[in-house]
Amino acid sequence: MMHALAVVLLVAGGKPQGSKDAGVGLGEQAPLEVLVKAPEELGYKAVTERQYLLVTLLVGAKAAWDRQAWDEAATKWEAALRLPALPAEVESAVRPFATAARERAGGKASSVPPLTASPEANPTSVTITMEPPELKEKKQLVEVSGTVQGGGTHGPGGAVVIFRRASGSTPKPKAARVRAVVQKDKRFVPHVLAVPLGATVEFRNDDDFFHNVFSISKPNDFDLGLYKSGAQREQVFNTPGPVQLLCNIHSSMNGWLFVSDSPWFGQANAQGKFTVKGVPVGEWEVEVWHEWANQSSKQTVTVSASMGELSLSVEGDRRAPAFVPDKAGKPRQPQLGY
Amino acid sequence: MSRLLFCATLLLGAFASAQDEVVEVPEGSESDGYTPDEAQAAEPVRLTGYLDVGFAKATGNGSSFLPSDGRVPLDYGSDAFAPAVNSRGEVASTDATGRFTNGFLPRSVGLGSRPSFLLNTFSTDVRVQPRSLPLFLFARVQVMPRFSASGDATRLELQQAFARYSPFKAHELAVFLGRFDSVFGIEYLETEANLRLGITPSLLARYTTGQGLGAKAFYRVQVPGLWSAFSLNAAATTNGTRIEALVPVSQSLTGVVVGSARLGYELNLQKVQVKAGVSGLYGPRNDVKAGPARQLAFAGDLRVTAFGVSLAGEVLRLIDEPSASAKFTGTTVGELATGFDVTGGWVRLGYTLPVTTPALTSATLYGRYDHRRGHFVGFPTLVTDRFTLGARVDVYEVLALKAELLLNRELAGAPTVDNDVFTSSVVFTW
Repeated sequence: MMHALAVVLLVAGGKPQGSKDAGVGLGEQAPLEVLVKAPEELGYKAVTERQYLLVTLLVGAKAAWDRQAWDEAATKWEAALRLPALPAEVESAVRPFATAARERAGGKASSVPPLTASPEANPTSVTITMEPPELKEKKQLVEVSGTVQGGGTHGPGGAVVIFRRASGSTPKPKAARVRAVVQKDKRFVPHVLAVPLGATVEFRNDDDFFHNVFSISKPNDFDLGLYKSGAQREQVFNTPGPVQLLCNIHSSMNGWLFVSDSPWFGQANAQGKFTVKGVPVGEWEVEVWHEWANQSSKQTVTVSASMGELSLSVEGDRRAPAFVPDKAGKPRQPQLGY
Repeated sequence: MSRLLFCATLLLGAFASAQDEVVEVPEGSESDGYTPDEAQAAEPVRLTGYLDVGFAKATGNGSSFLPSDGRVPLDYGSDAFAPAVNSRGEVASTDATGRFTNGFLPRSVGLGSRPSFLLNTFSTDVRVQPRSLPLFLFARVQVMPRFSASGDATRLELQQAFARYSPFKAHELAVFLGRFDSVFGIEYLETEANLRLGITPSLLARYTTGQGLGAKAFYRVQVPGLWSAFSLNAAATTNGTRIEALVPVSQSLTGVVVGSARLGYELNLQKVQVKAGVSGLYGPRNDVKAGPARQLAFAGDLRVTAFGVSLAGEVLRLIDEPSASAKFTGTTVGELATGFDVTGGWVRLGYTLPVTTPALTSATLYGRYDHRRGHFVGFPTLVTDRFTLGARVDVYEVLALKAELLLNRELAGAPTVDNDVFTSSVVFTW
């Protein structure tokens, strides 16, 4: 979402003139230089970037309003109103301005996004704003939680749980924010990360030496080249499925991304516990992918408001390969350590 | 008809609508990923290995020795290593008539000219990585069953056994102690059947791919801004870098270690990788017990991979000073420790086809050219070369199917002999 809105900002506002009055220069600094050295810091970074984006939009919109650039101001306020779980006081302050700006720009006030949050709303339920309103009203969204068992000696941690409609096609996910995988102490952190289709993942080198992150998992294969300590590279993942992450310099490094083609997915913690939020009631096929399973497991479940905890399982029958390939696919001998 | 069209339009519309449906990922639903504890992430003990079976057919009598050749020593006048049939460099045959040789011989599988199936190698690696310690233990045990009466005996070999210590997280330094691979050149990196792109080693592998007992250290430093790295790999070992058929590898006959090293350069660009190096070796000959005879070698190597094309090559110059004492090889004791020098090189070009399926993980065609000029002091210079054509197909990441044709030529110093080889190999990695 942040990434998409940043694009909207740039397209709508054009190239900022660099003056403080314009108030749009802030947005060019994203993504923020917030170091992530541990998994729990990823969430912190996401919250920080979200708040930063909100402030950037509000400041930029007001600056555009003051310049009587009505369309630009309306676009930015509308973008702010589309942010999920927008605090109610922000929404109430912004909406009149957004409506006025859109009208002055020659548009209709109805183009301003509808209310997306209220203080009474269940904070764990999220409105699916891209769906037609009439469909939305019929659906009840459920927070599904449960436990994954299996994964062999490695345990269930990192298992990815994906919900797809049992009949009919499942909507595609809208990639909301840039995700991060950090290289630290010759490891990928997090080791396994589930992302939605179309997600941008940034790979940042927090080690004191170079890394060359790549994958030969077709068709999501990529090669970021060599980059130094503190630098980061981005990659967009447009094909669903597992992506093994490797480093061309350090054969001991490996990690995984799982690209989900469904917006409803979650990931198990070390104890196997997972939560998938906002799942519409109905019949679903649930897939569980695990890096140490040769095959994903699948089962059909019925999601309802009264459902209990799900109990899922996945194999742990995959052996680590004897060799680790370099980016040309040539096997490397891990015992050499180089 | 129009009703049918109307229904079809409705169906297509519904299908398109469903296909285009996009839903935001519910806020808070995306996890921050999972990272196991460092100790939990690494498997403390791992067993891996491979089984290499093959089928080979050599022309002539399976050796490089002409039946009518009466020169002595017979192995000084021919390249006995030319008709190789497997990744260990074992040949289809050596001379079975009892003519005099001086121990400059490969191991043989004893096929002669008969087409035969081979059980080349059963290899097991044991890796032990104690949790939370910068220590790594490794051992490789190999079984080479040789069923032919005229082939060399069945062997069980502890090919490698070493401890690796990596004291720093922020520096790429690794220190090894034990019996380990050579550090000289690049061909030692793919001596094993499941690692080697093709099947057979080059005509120079006998000098560079042996194991030694001792200590070595690897250090790599990266160069900011140049996408580059320099590395030094240095070893002090009992043996130099020759294979075990030519010298005793786990003992020093003189009590003085042999030093060897490779200085490497790496250029790491997107989709393009260049590696180059120079290697050197100096120390006493390890096939004689007395005297000051030394061995000296230096080499250059280059590897380039880009867009499915791989180019690799190596040039070598090696000198053995003469000694008056007897010569101890890995298999026998010879009469003469003759002065010897060799110059040669090989270059290999491979192309990996851009076709992969879940079953077919890789398919590569390759060709290699080897050239070797060997000279035993007091004997004619022997010049040979070899053209190798081959293909490798990898299936399900555990099975490699390989086929190779070796066309050997004697250019000078040896009679022309029919010693070409067709060989194939199936390698199952577990």
